[in-house]
This record gives sequence, C-alpha cells and structure tokens, in this order.
Amino acid sequence: MLRISLPLRLQLSLVIVVGCAFLKPNAWYWLGAYGAIALLWACLLRVPIRKLTGLLGAELIFLSLLALPLGWERASFLLVRSLICLITMNSFLLTLPPHSFGIALKSLPLPRVLKENLLLAGQYIEILVGEVTRMQRSAQLRGLNGPAGWLRYASAAMIGTLYLRSLERAERVYAAMEVRGYNGQLPTDGTLRPKERFAVAMMCAIALCLTVASYTNFGF
Amino acid sequence: MHIPDGFVSLPVAAATGLVSVVGLGIGMGRSQDAFGIRRAPVLGLTTAFIFAAQMINFPVAGGTSGHLLGGTLAAIILGSPWAGMLCIATVLIIQAVLFADGGITALGANIFNMGVIGVWVGWSLTQTLQRLFGGYKGRLPLAAGIAAGISVVVAAIACAIELALSGTAPVNIVLPAMTGVHILIGIGEGLITGGVLTYLMTARPDLLPGNQQEFKGWVVPVVSILLIAGVLSLLASAWPDGLEKVAENLGFIKLGENVRVSIPTPFADYTVNGNEGIGTSIAGIIGSIVCFGVAFGIAKLVRPNNA
Repeated sequence: MLRISLPLRLQLSLVIVVGCAFLKPNAWYWLGAYGAIALLWACLLRVPIRKLTGLLGAELIFLSLLALPLGWERASFLLVRSLICLITMNSFLLTLPPHSFGIALKSLPLPRVLKENLLLAGQYIEILVGEVTRMQRSAQLRGLNGPAGWLRYASAAMIGTLYLRSLERAERVYAAMEVRGYNGQLPTDGTLRPKERFAVAMMCAIALCLTVASYTNFGF
Repeated sequence: MHIPDGFVSLPVAAATGLVSVVGLGIGMGRSQDAFGIRRAPVLGLTTAFIFAAQMINFPVAGGTSGHLLGGTLAAIILGSPWAGMLCIATVLIIQAVLFADGGITALGANIFNMGVIGVWVGWSLTQTLQRLFGGYKGRLPLAAGIAAGISVVVAAIACAIELALSGTAPVNIVLPAMTGVHILIGIGEGLITGGVLTYLMTARPDLLPGNQQEFKGWVVPVVSILLIAGVLSLLASAWPDGLEKVAENLGFIKLGENVRVSIPTPFADYTVNGNEGIGTSIAGIIGSIVCFGVAFGIAKLVRPNNA
C-alpha cells in the first residue's frame, strides 16, 4: 500500500466522488475517464479485490432496485456512475486502519458539531455491531439457530434493548475518552502538508475539467 | 426515499440544498445549547442506531421494500427536533458519501425530505397528539407512532413534488405512487417507533420527555394540515385507483352500478357540485376538519381521568 496520509486519501476520494456526481447525464466518455481514475485509485491503495467485489455486489442490488424502474437507458448511466463512486469510497474504507476514520475526518472543512457527531456515530456503530453479535450469540444459546431463528427473536423490545445496552457502553466509552482528555476535538493533526495540498489541488483541477467538459461538446 | 444523482434538477437541488443548509446551521447552534458535552453519547449513538436501522429493509406490497426513517424516534429520544435534524442529516451524509445511497447532488433534497420535513412533521404531530391525549406520558408511544407514520407519508409527498418539479416523472403518476407505497412503509415506521418507545418508557423513562399538561401551539399544525388538504388535493390523480383499474380491465366495473343506491352526497368524487378546481380544495379542507373533529372526540374519550 502506498504511504498516503489518511486526510489526503479521504480528500482525494471525495473529490473523485463529487466530480463524478456532478457529471452531465449520459456523458459516457467523461464517465469512462472517472472510471479509469477510480480503478487507478483502487490499484494505488491495493484494495483487497475479493472484499471490494463482495461489497459492490451487495450495494449494487439496492441501487438497481431504485434505478431500474426508470428504464434501462437512464438506469444504466446512473448505475455505472454509482459503481464508480462506490469503487472510490470502498477502496478508501477497506484500506482504512481501524479507529482512524476520525483522523481522516478532522481534515474536512465541516462544522465542529457535525464532525464530532460523525466521529461518534462511526465509533458507536462498532459498539452497536458488537452488541448485535452478543445478542445473536445469546439467542443461539437459547436454541434460536440460523438467520430465521434470529429474526423470530427480533421485536421492538429487542431493538429497545439493543439501544439501551449500546447506550450504556457508549457512555462508558465516552467517559473514558473524557478522562483521556477528549473535549470534542481529536488530539491529532489533521492538516495537510504543502505537497499534499498540491495533490488535492491537482485532483480538484482534473475533476473540474472533466465535469465541466461533460456539459460542453468537445467533439463527443 | 433516498433520491439518487440525476433524479432532481439543478434548481430543485439548489433550493432544497439551501433550505437544508440554513436548517442545519440553526440546528447546530440549538443542539450545542441543548446538549453540551454530557449528552454527546446519546446523540452519537442515536445517529449510529438510525444508520444501522436504515440498512434493514422490510418488504412491503408490490415487490418494493421500505426502511425506518427514524426522524420522529430520533427527535423524541433526543428531546429536540433540532438535534433530530442533525442526527438524520449525519446519517444521510454518511450514506451518500460512503455508500452512494442517495446522491451527492441530491443530498440537499434528501436532507430536506427526511431530515427537515420527516423530523419536524413527526415532532409537531407528536406534540399535538400528545396534548390531545391529555399530556399523559403513557400515550407517548401511540402519539409518536401515529406521527411517525404520517411524517413518512408527508416526506414522500415532498419527494414526489420535487421529482415532478424536476421533470423526472409527471405529478399525477409519481404523487399517488409515492404516497401509496409510503403509507405502507409509514405503518411499519409507526409500529417500530411506538414499540421502541414503549420499551424505552418501561426500561429507561428518564430518556424520554415528561408529562405535558397544556394544550398550546395548535394553530400551526392545524393550519398546516388544512393547507396540505387544500393545496395538495389539487394535485391528486384523476386516474382510477388500483381496484378501479383492475375492475375496468377485467370488465366487472359495471357490476357495481347494478346494485348502486343513489344517495345525494355533497362531496361526491371529492368535488363540490362537480367543480374539480376549488371544489376539490373545499372538499379536502372539510374532510380534514371532520377527521380532526372525530380524532379530537376519540382523544377525549380515551383521555385518562387523572390527566
């Protein structure tokens, strides 16, 4: 994996995704250019192909349910564009060291409250998943085996229990964070170095050219 | 209800984006006042919880599926619609940026539909219904369940109007389609919201708002309902509903006419004297008043003696 700092990785991924999202509909050549950039990005980050394809498959099923009723011509462009955005963001997510999303997030020019909430939500999803696993295990111990058994166990009370158990753990984690000096700000440096700023500026320029060009003809 | 990239036009995306940014800006200030550092885990965990819940789709009729929107639930647990708005907006940003669920260009529209309309309609209706039920805390899950269901339908109507204004689909097709599916999704939303709140009220009543005795601030919700009934009814499709269409196609629609007893009704076919313009609005407003009166009467009947 290339030694690219987390804030730089996040910012470059976002520039590709935002640029691709603003492409003119049915601008296939320009979408192809973004596709090539996304694949290059995935290769640079050396994303595990098996994991990436598994994630993409699951995400594309949901997307196709939304897009296909619009007709094949329109849906195909929307799906390919979504696929490129997903390759870019999944490549970033799958090569992210654990618990380091907040470090990447700190470099984004977002309001502090929103960034703090994003950070806490990201962190507490892990707690939530941990609680779900524990509850699944206790359901299995009660003889409710397999996904069908687990679903029979699911109810509003179980969702409520999950919320409360996760909240108790989240409060403990937050208290520990406060004891270690957390005050809503991550104790890490989220600013970019001059070379990294240049790389982000270059990527912004490329994305801007591609997206603006899709609204002009330039022979296509 | 997540609108993907390419479904809304630039003016619609810009207008909804502007409203969402202004709303979030105010919400951030209000949430900071309301929360401080102590309640931060509740906000963070509720955001994570709604995010996880939105990933679980449940099947509804017609081969489609829905998922919890969670705006009403978030606003009630957090005790503030501003914080609820922030919570849903965070979920939508994570979904759009990291999972391409909902477009980047449509993010403003999605936050407006689910984060602004979904949360505020749910919160306002919960407050109104809770007061109609006498402010008794035990009625909160019922009030919130009904409000959550209605908030989903109103958000879907807003989404349909945005799609129609963008030229994606004609209003007479997209409005009934979105409303029809989201009524079913709204039932699921109402059941989950009511169920979770019932559990939380038993296990951790301190997390939920306390008793509210006074019936205040009824003007805004009542006027809003009348406006919706009066204005949106003009957009209703004149096309036959599902059953009528099937009856037409299969040729049994005339069977009904054989047994029909003609009773003069003032608002037949949702019009007044056959006038489809202003008559539809009048019929919608009168219908809303009658529904409101019936609901108010039921609320008075079910109101506990000590409230």
